[in-house]
Amino acid sequence: MIWNPHFFTALAVFLIYIGIVGLAGRKNLFVIYLSLELMLNGINLAFVTLSRARPDMDPAVIALLMVGVIAAEAAIFLAMIVHLFGLKRSVNSDDFRELADGRSR
Amino acid sequence: MVENIVTLLLALFLGIGSLGVVFSRRPASSVVSFFAVTISIAGLFAILNQTFLFVSQIMIGVGAVVVVTAVAVATVNLDNRGLPSESRFSIPMVVTAVTAIPLSILLYRSLVSTMGDSFPQVDGSFGSIEAVAERLFGHWALPFEILSILLLAAMAGAVAIARKEKK
Repeated sequence: MIWNPHFFTALAVFLIYIGIVGLAGRKNLFVIYLSLELMLNGINLAFVTLSRARPDMDPAVIALLMVGVIAAEAAIFLAMIVHLFGLKRSVNSDDFRELADGRSR
Repeated sequence: MVENIVTLLLALFLGIGSLGVVFSRRPASSVVSFFAVTISIAGLFAILNQTFLFVSQIMIGVGAVVVVTAVAVATVNLDNRGLPSESRFSIPMVVTAVTAIPLSILLYRSLVSTMGDSFPQVDGSFGSIEAVAERLFGHWALPFEILSILLLAAMAGAVAIARKEKK
């Protein structure tokens, strides 16, 4: 019987874990962005599981607001990726070191 | 019984999709895997009685975010030479995969400690649009309004970033 809060929480934590691994381990800007999305979706799933397990509608409303935040983050991040690609014709995060330390390589 | 089977199928879909997002070499494959993830997240919302969240996840998560991501990937249109050269299991990835395990266990245990062992019975109105709206426009009205400002700022920021600079 896997329809219980523990299994759903484990799924949410798995999504967050995979998101962290992708965020730190990949260089492709698109994959970094999608890993962030995975983490946000995992947090959303954790909120909804909490809402069903309590039962209480407040976490579900937070999850609904999070959906809006995810949409805003997607707009900014994708505009940034397209802009950065236009600057250097690359989606390799190593090519944008100067964003971090203020000087070119 | 039915919910167990559906949960298992959705979890399989979710697991394969999320692994595909991180381990695909080409961004287009990652986006397709992410599509699978958002669809199965929406299904998990539905099986947790959150009907309104299910609909909004389908409309915004799948309809907006995945489509915009696919359009961005198609716009950039990388061939194999444009992709960063990276091995499938790089050292940062392995190190993170090991060091993030204690964090995940801590997160899991702290989340589980706030919940019971099984889902309680709820009536049919739980998760409906009325129940969400009652809380959203009652207790959560201010965060909702702040979110609208955030969305406006994000839209203006996206336009400002994407606009061509005048020479």
